[in-house]
Amino acid sequence: MEKQVKQTWHFNQSPKVVWEYLTNPELMGQWLMQCNFEPVVGHKFQFINNDKIDAYCQVLEIIPHKLLSYSWKKGKNENEIRLDSVVTWILEDKGGKTELLLQHGDFELLKDFDDHNNGWNYLLSHLVERLNASSDAGANV
Amino acid sequence: MLPRMQAQMFDAFQVIADPSRRQMMMMLSKDSMTINALAKNFDMSRPAVSKHIKIMYNAGFISITDIGRERYCTLKQEGFNELQDFIDYFDKFWTTKLKKLQTLLDNKSKQ
Repeated sequence: MEKQVKQTWHFNQSPKVVWEYLTNPELMGQWLMQCNFEPVVGHKFQFINNDKIDAYCQVLEIIPHKLLSYSWKKGKNENEIRLDSVVTWILEDKGGKTELLLQHGDFELLKDFDDHNNGWNYLLSHLVERLNASSDAGANV
Repeated sequence: MLPRMQAQMFDAFQVIADPSRRQMMMMLSKDSMTINALAKNFDMSRPAVSKHIKIMYNAGFISITDIGRERYCTLKQEGFNELQDFIDYFDKFWTTKLKKLQTLLDNKSKQ
């Protein structure tokens, strides 16, 4: 059962060129967000939006010019992450051009840090169930 | 509707990020309360409480009704329901970003 964002894009450029734009922080800043990405498995980095940290990430997997995946976490700070997810990029060479598949999934809302707020946790976990259920419809297209 | 949803999404995370606001919403999940009654439970100035309420209101988490001289806050179910659109939010987020990438790459090729 699909519970994720899935998009396929076609670029006139080669996977090597597209890969650069997915992994070079300077180039990433031109279309995505400012970041301190490094193409090293286990490297922790952040995306910055309007001088604020937008997402806390960690590189999970790299196959140069073919596959890149990193965790994508949102929260107040690194110790209070509320949303966990995984972003995966898959590049395929189509005669010198690139087919790029983006998957953003594994959504998970994490436990509240205020233990007394159990009702809130319940609300949030309930929300995630509904979110995941609602994403199924779109993913099957 | 879509731009509103996008703004809402960012707000939702910011709303949830604050422990005081979470506590306020927990209280409101039991019953509607006046701003004054809500403020009594928190060790912060009345303007500070009002600021939190305004943030929750703008994000669609609560509604405010004037009854007599009191302002009543009520937790809005729709505020939470809109959160379930966050996969749509990311879908739109990536569409916007990748369009930008495509334009960037195509312009680069022309040079």
